[in-house]
Amino acid sequence: MSIATTSNTPNPGALSGALGVSAKGVSRHFGAVHAVEHVDFRAPAGKVTALIGPNGAGKTTLLLMLASLLKPDSGTITIDGLDPAQDRAAVRLRIGWMPDTLGVWESLTAREILVQMARFYRLPAARIPQRVADLLELVRLDTLADQPARVLSRGQQQRLSLARALVHDPSVLLLDEPASGLDPGSRVELRKLLRSLAGEGKAVVVSSHVLSELDEIADGAVFVNQGRTVKQQTIEEAALAGRRYAVTALDSEALMAKLRELGVEFRVEAGRRPAVTLLLTHDAGAAALLSELVTSGIGVVSFAPATGALEETYMNLETEQR
Amino acid sequence: MSHVTEATPGPARPQGTVGGGNAVVGYLGGIRDVVVLEMKQRLRSRGWYIMLGIWFVVIAIVTWLTWLAWNASMESRRSFGEPTQDAAGSMVFEVVLAFVLLFGLLVAPALSANAINGDRAGGTLAILQITLLTPGQILWGKFCAGWLAALAFLGTSAPFLVFGMFQGGLTPGHVLVSLLMLAVELAAICGLGVGISALAGRPLFSIVVTYLVVAALVVGSLISFALGSQLAQGTVLANSPVSHSVPYAPLTPDGSEPVVPVTPVEPGFTCEGPLVEQRAFRTERVAWMLALNPYVVVADAIPYPDRSGAAFYSVGLLEGISQSARTALAGPEHSYQCANGVVQPQYLKQTTPLWPLGLTLQVVLTSLLMWLGWRALRTPARGLARGTRIA
Repeated sequence: MSIATTSNTPNPGALSGALGVSAKGVSRHFGAVHAVEHVDFRAPAGKVTALIGPNGAGKTTLLLMLASLLKPDSGTITIDGLDPAQDRAAVRLRIGWMPDTLGVWESLTAREILVQMARFYRLPAARIPQRVADLLELVRLDTLADQPARVLSRGQQQRLSLARALVHDPSVLLLDEPASGLDPGSRVELRKLLRSLAGEGKAVVVSSHVLSELDEIADGAVFVNQGRTVKQQTIEEAALAGRRYAVTALDSEALMAKLRELGVEFRVEAGRRPAVTLLLTHDAGAAALLSELVTSGIGVVSFAPATGALEETYMNLETEQR
Repeated sequence: MSHVTEATPGPARPQGTVGGGNAVVGYLGGIRDVVVLEMKQRLRSRGWYIMLGIWFVVIAIVTWLTWLAWNASMESRRSFGEPTQDAAGSMVFEVVLAFVLLFGLLVAPALSANAINGDRAGGTLAILQITLLTPGQILWGKFCAGWLAALAFLGTSAPFLVFGMFQGGLTPGHVLVSLLMLAVELAAICGLGVGISALAGRPLFSIVVTYLVVAALVVGSLISFALGSQLAQGTVLANSPVSHSVPYAPLTPDGSEPVVPVTPVEPGFTCEGPLVEQRAFRTERVAWMLALNPYVVVADAIPYPDRSGAAFYSVGLLEGISQSARTALAGPEHSYQCANGVVQPQYLKQTTPLWPLGLTLQVVLTSLLMWLGWRALRTPARGLARGTRIA
């Protein structure tokens, strides 16, 4: 990681416990629509926090409020312990925001866009060219740096947008659907990048509904639906809540007979190949079951988590909502 | 997370956050950065150059036709033995000036009235708002960029004004004052456009509204002045004019210059009899409506000689507008023939110009809209226009 050496260090006076993003009892309505209602949210520094919810759950509205663009009707927001309404400039320097709408100046080149952003953040002029070059390399746009942004593909524009959010080396990153439109290779890179940014002590907030992505990168998750915080949990907690495993075997009948014999509850899934799924609460149990099945001569073809840990929670929440 | 508490300054340490003088420089620097961003985008769109080219060609054609028309009329005058003198030569200049103002009024809204909500629709406004830029810097930057673009159009038309100057025997001062006033008018319209674009949700709507405001200034001001004068009926104390028998110097039979009109021939009457209340339009009460008109402001600001006492003079277009406007401002006390029993010359020696009032009113209107626009750009945003997203 050549790019971000140190983050904007908060005032020594600020409580280290207050680092990162926190929102308490935040509400916001648009006309009669209550987009966000009394949401509590906490994204600590050094962690990747996922903001999860269905379309229209209020994720973007919450992120806009965290980014200090939108004023909450009620509730308080702090960024590294600072109030956006009080210390506007200090908060802005700490926030890197990547919107869900790309919003690129199409006739400018990628390099020019980043230079402009650096100027808007009043970086010292002498350091801008190097900073921009580093960022372009980081998001692998160095070969396209002098092309107008309009010729970039959606995924490339997405990466440019990420670089734009990083230009002033913020300590809090608010990313709205950063993975949408990215090819698998770029997704893996994004994942690595976000982990390393969190490793540098930044608070990273990622909103998404691609849950399998978040499983790999998020340390914790906040579930929102219909404008409310539905659940806040860490990945460990999510994993402890149990995970559904899918098992397929050469002989499905034999597999099911063995499972019945072991007294394990399972259900048969309708799918391309006959599979059974069962809920296991911890990894040790999964390992024990697999070894039991194999030693009893069942031809196990696959034995894997059917869903991610977050997806499990999400789907449970979805069914609870109905 | 130990290194979060390190005291090493990050690369993002901002400049100019200390010191009062630096704050002004920083503020202006932010405006300049926005202007640079805007101009880069404009200069790269082909449409802009096409518009500039069309503008140049159209004004060239207008200038050429006006010049032909003037020459033709001079030719026919000469063939009928009439005098071919003086200020009518400024016709080329005046027509070009009026035309440039017309085109400027048409182009300025197009250059400015989608500045803010166009960016909002494209998702790039919030990108600016999230940075250290203040709403004022964004607004001023957009305004300056729009105005600079409008000034480029004005610059393109400057050669034709200079051509008119040479044709009409005018001075460079006329051209400078005209260009200055045109530039100020364009600034006022650009300010209107930027302010409205910050308030309205959709670019199409704000462009239409800006055009309507421009139409209200150009046409609406005349209509409201005319209607307002009817409402401002009043009286003026006056007695009756009695004509003199030989008020005018006769034309010489061979059609050459009249010989005698060195002595003043005005007024051709004296005021006699008792003072009676006469019905009159108290136009001075509604003259401010007329002052809102950009044509009045520009025409009234361009200097012309005092012609009271001259027997014959042909009033140019601009001078005519200016005289009418000043007559309206003077009101019946100074323009009614025998108001207060005093001989009021037909040529008004009204030296109070109307354009400062007009310009002030226009600037107040523009400032109001810019201020409202500034309020709409503040973040964290409290209210949003219906049906719009901040990003």
